[in-house]
Amino acid sequence: MESLFSQLAMLGSSLALIASFLLLWRRGIPAYIDAFVLQSLALGATTALVGHFTGNPELYLVAGLLTAIKGVGIPLLLRRMARRLGSGRRVPPYVNTATSLLVGGLLVLLAYVVMRPVVQLSQLPTRAGMPLAMGLIFISLFVVVSRRHALTQVIGFLMLENGIALLAVLGTYGIPLIVEIGVFLDVLMGFLVMQIFVYQIHETFQSLDVEQLNRLRR
Amino acid sequence: MSEPTLFLLLLGAPLAAALLAAVGSSASRAVAASTGLLALGALAAALGLAARVVEGGVPTWGPGELFRVDALSAVLAVCVAFVSALAVCLGPASETARHARTFRIFASLFAFTMLVAVTTNNVAVMWVAIEATTITSAVLVPLQVSRASVEASWKYILIGSVGIALAFVGTVLAYFDFVALAGARESALHWTVLMAAAPALHPAAMQLAFVFLLVGYGTKAGLAPMHTWLPDAHAEAPAALSAMMSGVLLAVALYAIVRWKAVVDLAVDGPLPDRLLIGLGLLSLALAALSLLGQRHYKRLLAYSSIEHTGLMCMGLALGPLGVFAAMLHLINHTAAKSMMFLLSGRIRERYGTADIRHVSGLLRTMPITGGLFVAGTLALVGLPPFGLFLSKLTLLRAGFAAGHAWLMAAVLALLAVAFVAFVGHLNRMLYGAPPAGVATGETGRGALVPLAACALVLVWLGLVLPAPLETLLDRIVEITTR
Repeated sequence: MESLFSQLAMLGSSLALIASFLLLWRRGIPAYIDAFVLQSLALGATTALVGHFTGNPELYLVAGLLTAIKGVGIPLLLRRMARRLGSGRRVPPYVNTATSLLVGGLLVLLAYVVMRPVVQLSQLPTRAGMPLAMGLIFISLFVVVSRRHALTQVIGFLMLENGIALLAVLGTYGIPLIVEIGVFLDVLMGFLVMQIFVYQIHETFQSLDVEQLNRLRR
Repeated sequence: MSEPTLFLLLLGAPLAAALLAAVGSSASRAVAASTGLLALGALAAALGLAARVVEGGVPTWGPGELFRVDALSAVLAVCVAFVSALAVCLGPASETARHARTFRIFASLFAFTMLVAVTTNNVAVMWVAIEATTITSAVLVPLQVSRASVEASWKYILIGSVGIALAFVGTVLAYFDFVALAGARESALHWTVLMAAAPALHPAAMQLAFVFLLVGYGTKAGLAPMHTWLPDAHAEAPAALSAMMSGVLLAVALYAIVRWKAVVDLAVDGPLPDRLLIGLGLLSLALAALSLLGQRHYKRLLAYSSIEHTGLMCMGLALGPLGVFAAMLHLINHTAAKSMMFLLSGRIRERYGTADIRHVSGLLRTMPITGGLFVAGTLALVGLPPFGLFLSKLTLLRAGFAAGHAWLMAAVLALLAVAFVAFVGHLNRMLYGAPPAGVATGETGRGALVPLAACALVLVWLGLVLPAPLETLLDRIVEITTR
């Protein structure tokens, strides 16, 4: 039983991590949104899984919220944005695909190194997935800094939030519900404000290439 | 007033103000006056709670004592309520009614989120509130849509949100460590519970957690090298918002670092936390001092000066009890000085129509009082007596020498000298000479100058004496946050 739980949790975290690699490997906003949906569903399923094996009904609620907001709601808004703003001129990232994938691999290695002393402290059957969650966090950070398209940066930020949620559910079987709900609210509000800003950028600069945003750089 | 009433007033007043501004007519004088009064009500409540703390109490409120005001919270709550009241009452200079309404709604919400952050006992709720400060304040940066403000707001919300997410990684890691030790508990994220358990927490996990927490909250506090959003956002935001962001938002982020540092100090024996604080602090100070030299934009000048002062405070936190004392005193002084300066810069920009130092001259002739206060504020910021910042900088340097960091303090002194020369040089250019053609002479909106002059008086007062209640509060902060 314990090992089945452990294996399934590992499967869920691996799927979530693979989704972030899709962001490094594929091109185009629609593909990125698909990857984000896949990741959110994997995260929701992992959360429900932990809820099932630990008998904690609160986690079902969290899993439901996760799937509804990050698996359905936000992707819907993202797709609408992508449609309305058009894919426009292709914006190449600062780093090419091959190098990106290599960096991604190295970041996962780094996550294992960083998390090794931490994982040893835990007795939970889900602990093996924690370095993967940290890897996901690192890769999302890398996406935010290495991409020039504002929408891609938003998706990177959303994946970062997913990584943290995954780390929390694997390492602690979920943070207290009041905090969880506060975090959801923040992510949602933050995303909505970012959405307004993306439209503003598009209107003011006629492009979503943040390379254009360098008037203030000095 | 009873303690629950004080809490209710402190947190309820800004919320009520936001609601009122949202439903009320945007041109109504009554709405403007009541939002101002509510902000003053919150300030009165903060002072009331601080008085309780000085008497030796620790007021708590809410289910499971979710809110708790000790000396550290009290000082921050008073600072936040003070600057918010100042900003809400004075408002964004020369805006349309629609802008004024948006400003009142979000500035009040911004004040609310900061007040929750500094009064909650739960470190995760604190995180939620600080993340919310990014959202509520970012909305106001492009109040007047321009290329520059849109760019600044995007950098701010993206870097701010990503940074603060990293602080949550740190929070989760610390919670993970606690759960591995003592099992899951609803109150495990309460600062008091964490402090009690801290000596038994694992150093390896807590060190890693602290790195994430410092990078995360450090991004919000404007520590180099995560500061890149700060000069843009502070320069492009409306002056009243800049005052809140620079005067207290940085302090709130630093507050989060102080809270976590206290926990980590009990869990980790090694020098890593202190070294990180000193390293980031020195880097911020150096970068800010050198950037001050070449600035052409006076609001950016003030923004870089904020980075400089945050760097100083950050270093102070690593210099033992006296260092913490100095850092907190510096925080209070900086809040008064920087909020005054940003509000003054709003008046100057309104008159001259530019933020470029080269196009501002004859300030003392066109606006004698504004100019005079601007001089006082500049001299205070560079650390001259008789202003409070002189005293706190001196104490900080003394703490550094006492802690055996003579070389470090020598470097700090040299960098402070660079900042001094840069700042005073720019000031000279603005004060004297003939005013540009078409710039009117004489002060307008004199009413706004009264609270600003009060800030200057506070600075002088804090430079001459250390009031007994304040000393009690600072001593108690040192007591609860250092080993």
